Amino acid sequence: MALRKAPLVAALAAVALLTSACGLRESGEEASTGVGVTKEACPDTPNKDNGCIYLGAISDLTSGPFAALGVPITDTQKAFWKRVNDAGGIGGYDIDVTTYVRDNKYNPETHKQVFDEIQGKVLALSQTLGSPTTAAIMNDLKAKKIVAAPASWTSVWEFEDVIVESGTNYCFESMNSVDWATENLKAKSVLAVHYAGDYGEDAAAGAKVAAEANGLKFSAVETPPGQDNQASAIKAVVSKKPDVVILTTGPTDAAVIIGQAAAGGYKGQFIGTSPTWNPALLKSAAAPAFKAMYRQSAPWGPFGSDTAGHKAMREALPNVTAPTDGHTAGWVWSYPLKAALEKAAEDGDLTREGLLKAVTSLDKVDYEGMLPEDAGNFAGEPNDTVFRKSLINKIDDSAPTGVAVEQDLFEGPTGQKYEFSKACF
Amino acid sequence: MTATRPRPRQITGRPELYTSYAQQLRMFNTRPKRLAVLAILLVALSLPFVYDDETLRLLALGLAAAIGAIGLNLVTGYAGQVTLGHAFFLAVGAYTAAALSGDPDGRTIGFGITNVLVWLLAAGLVAAVLGLLVAPLAARLRGLYLAVVTLGLVFLGEHIFKEWQELTGGPGVGRPGPVPELFGIRLNEAGVFTAEQKLYLLMLVLLVGFAVLARNLVRSKVGRAFSAIRDRDIAASVIGVNLTRYKALAFAISSFYAGCAGALVYTVSGFVEPGSFNLLLSVQYIAMVLIGGAGTISGSIMGALFITLLPRITRDLPAFLPLISADASVPLNVFQVETVLYGLLIIGFLLLEPRGLFGIWVRIRNYWKAWPFSY
Amino acid sequence: MIEFLSGVVSGLGAGSAYALLALGFVIVYKATRVISFAQPAFMLAGAVAVSYLVGPLGFVPALLLGVAGVALLGLATERAVIRPMVGRPVFVVAIITLGIDIAMRVVVNGFIGNDVRQVGDPWGLRRVNVLGIAVQQRHIAMIVTTAVLIGVLFAFFKYSRLGLAMRAASYDQETALAQGVSVGTVFALSWAIAAGLAAVAGTFVATGAGVDQQMWIIALKALPAIILGGLDSLGGAVVGGLTIGVVESLVSSYQSDFAPWLGQNFSVVSPYVVMLLILLVRPYGLFGTREVERV
Repeated sequence: MALRKAPLVAALAAVALLTSACGLRESGEEASTGVGVTKEACPDTPNKDNGCIYLGAISDLTSGPFAALGVPITDTQKAFWKRVNDAGGIGGYDIDVTTYVRDNKYNPETHKQVFDEIQGKVLALSQTLGSPTTAAIMNDLKAKKIVAAPASWTSVWEFEDVIVESGTNYCFESMNSVDWATENLKAKSVLAVHYAGDYGEDAAAGAKVAAEANGLKFSAVETPPGQDNQASAIKAVVSKKPDVVILTTGPTDAAVIIGQAAAGGYKGQFIGTSPTWNPALLKSAAAPAFKAMYRQSAPWGPFGSDTAGHKAMREALPNVTAPTDGHTAGWVWSYPLKAALEKAAEDGDLTREGLLKAVTSLDKVDYEGMLPEDAGNFAGEPNDTVFRKSLINKIDDSAPTGVAVEQDLFEGPTGQKYEFSKACF
Repeated sequence: MTATRPRPRQITGRPELYTSYAQQLRMFNTRPKRLAVLAILLVALSLPFVYDDETLRLLALGLAAAIGAIGLNLVTGYAGQVTLGHAFFLAVGAYTAAALSGDPDGRTIGFGITNVLVWLLAAGLVAAVLGLLVAPLAARLRGLYLAVVTLGLVFLGEHIFKEWQELTGGPGVGRPGPVPELFGIRLNEAGVFTAEQKLYLLMLVLLVGFAVLARNLVRSKVGRAFSAIRDRDIAASVIGVNLTRYKALAFAISSFYAGCAGALVYTVSGFVEPGSFNLLLSVQYIAMVLIGGAGTISGSIMGALFITLLPRITRDLPAFLPLISADASVPLNVFQVETVLYGLLIIGFLLLEPRGLFGIWVRIRNYWKAWPFSY
Repeated sequence: MIEFLSGVVSGLGAGSAYALLALGFVIVYKATRVISFAQPAFMLAGAVAVSYLVGPLGFVPALLLGVAGVALLGLATERAVIRPMVGRPVFVVAIITLGIDIAMRVVVNGFIGNDVRQVGDPWGLRRVNVLGIAVQQRHIAMIVTTAVLIGVLFAFFKYSRLGLAMRAASYDQETALAQGVSVGTVFALSWAIAAGLAAVAGTFVATGAGVDQQMWIIALKALPAIILGGLDSLGGAVVGGLTIGVVESLVSSYQSDFAPWLGQNFSVVSPYVVMLLILLVRPYGLFGTREVERV
């Protein structure tokens, strides 16, 4: 009997497929003013008289490698914009970041597809997670003048007008880390252990520049993701015995490398970029090694920092029991878009063109103390506007995310002088 | 069959009666089939003026993927050689085309030859040559051994593509997809028609061409040799089919199709990242073939469209289910449901109808053939 | 030399996890002639289950309970999804197992959440000196556990009634059925054993650094292992798994010095190269049964 029904099921599925998946071509579609901006109020908003600005978010929410970051980022951004709405919105509009959230599974093709799905309905993107994924939609973003806040820190973004990045990138972060290690740890040799691609190579390139500027011995090892694939990286650390290792991997791989290198007799220090850390590592077997030899470089202060912005974030996320720096990142990344929207609303031009114009003339952003105002400079040449400061954290059991600031935002001599005319890698 | 083939006799009042093998083997052997194909083509040609650009882009992707699925069906469905290496050949095609048509001044290799016909042919041929390299393995290995070995090809290919950064841009960076230009018209930029309309029409025309070629191939001597190998390769060799030669041919042709499909798919999506060509992509193509119906050309097309549209449908379905949170931090939210649904729909489909979409069509057809006396 | 030997030992440690996974693949293959792509999900589920149970129970009881739970899960999956497909083309079933994997991993990922979960093993990252070679304790534990499990399994297949039934069903299903063997039970049991072995492997892989959402990829390393050893050979699976582990470990230690032109991270694909080389010489793997061909 079940078999006999199959054709019926299939026919129904086919009908569902045609009706659900396919939008009809509308005449005169995509009016040039006000895509993603409506006179009607947003769903679930306190301000029923306000209009609504729809922002899209494309993140890694289920099965991709960065789901552990994508989920808290997306959550926090909802809280961020809810706070904006609760304060009355922007220029008579509320901001909706919940209706058009899509999962990219960290796959460029999927990213492109879900972007196509929502791009006719949103003014801008409050989040586009990942570099290869964002690269897949970059031409569309530029052609359609859609401003987007990235969720990645590569140095490529500084050269794209439509991308409103916050904080420094891996390239300068690693330069600063090496400068800092030269001065404070008296390092004579540096080893960069990094993933392939935009994330790892950006950092390794920065570390190399700084090592050369400081006259340090430099070498680099590329390592693949996967706990059982770290043997060559560990061997390189243990046998080369560098004074400092600049680490750009995921947290579990970092735990394997640091834990095993320590067990193998390595005595130097590690400085990992922000994604190498996860508070849960304090419960792992590698915890003692982390406490003894690990520091985290970061573009801004961790979750527990003492600034107005951090405090507002913690208040906006009362239900978060296990904070990570994904939360902090999601919050910080939202400020430039908020500033740009405010400016566009002031200019009375809440269209995509208007927003892009607002972005390209934006020379400071109020980060509520999480970053200095000039971190949000988008007007001018990248070499002049790029933000070059990062900070160094060390392990602190009592901090909410397990790390606390050791060296506040600083700019190393190498980064200060670096001629930033193209992406680092 | 002799050279002097008698003209098929038409018997008055019995238009559907076959009076010769040639008539039965014709591509469109019945009038309803002719009419149906004509109708489908007309509908397909009118779609660009009905649907919006987003849907068209998705459909264009499906049509391009269908070419790859047909290729896989030739080697797997017709010749019975199960391969998980399809992703590798898709990648070869995509990179050949992207490199040929790429910007000579870009950061990745490019030669600026943007004519679709040139790079498409090149993509197919390069893939076909590499396909021939697999052939010696196929001649020695059978079944799952062959499947896993071809999977090894995917892993090796992934490694090469990740390392060869001048060509691919490297993992996490990628490079622009092939640039399509035909008779001086850029197909991926809006002109009189939108880019999506042009790309859709290009894919449709190419798919029809590739499908007709494949259909002709499988009803030729070569196609019969393929089926003989699939059904029992030893029996086939006993009756005089040269196994090594035909297996090599099957892989070459299938790889040619895959190369072309790879080039076209990434023309539509516009961006190629070396991490995309993994086991999952190969499996998706296997799923297209199985869901469409192994050993049928029309099934491959249906399967490819189904798999391409499935994620889009699963993104819409949770809206109809109550009690599902849109909040990504709550367990069982819409995003998890959509991924689970993707898996479950594939399972459910194969459980209910192992012969695939083509099997459903056969069943519907038989039902109406005997109507009103169908049971 | 010391470096070489320690490379071999750590390779054996990692390889023992591959061997367990490979055994699971082979057991399912022998019973149903299908490669089960659901193994990665079972492996992940095992590690996650242990990470939840270890708090209240302690490591060993948590491991036992977790493995039992995942074995039950495997049994249920077979009964619900695979049994209706008996007699269908094996590749259709293989794709179904892949669908199971996708669906199940999403659910398991939900339990992992944003954190890296710990399985709370007693070994940590400690090392002991064996004949001058520093060996990780967890690798010793893995090798010993694997050896014991393999011993138990082989004894089970050789001496127990059910094991005999499984061998009979694998040899010829219809004849076994005619002799009164419940082939359905055999199917269910092989899925349960395979899932349980994957759970053990998953837990051991997670010792040291923990479980994250990407751990499942390790299960795919068992694929070259089973082909290398021969799809239908239990001994072959063990040899294959250990070989892959050692090859990988040695390639990752030496390749950057001796063959840098192969590219960074060549060790990741080295198992497939070894597999290809061996298959060129022996098309049915090292210990696989040569198919008897009849027309």
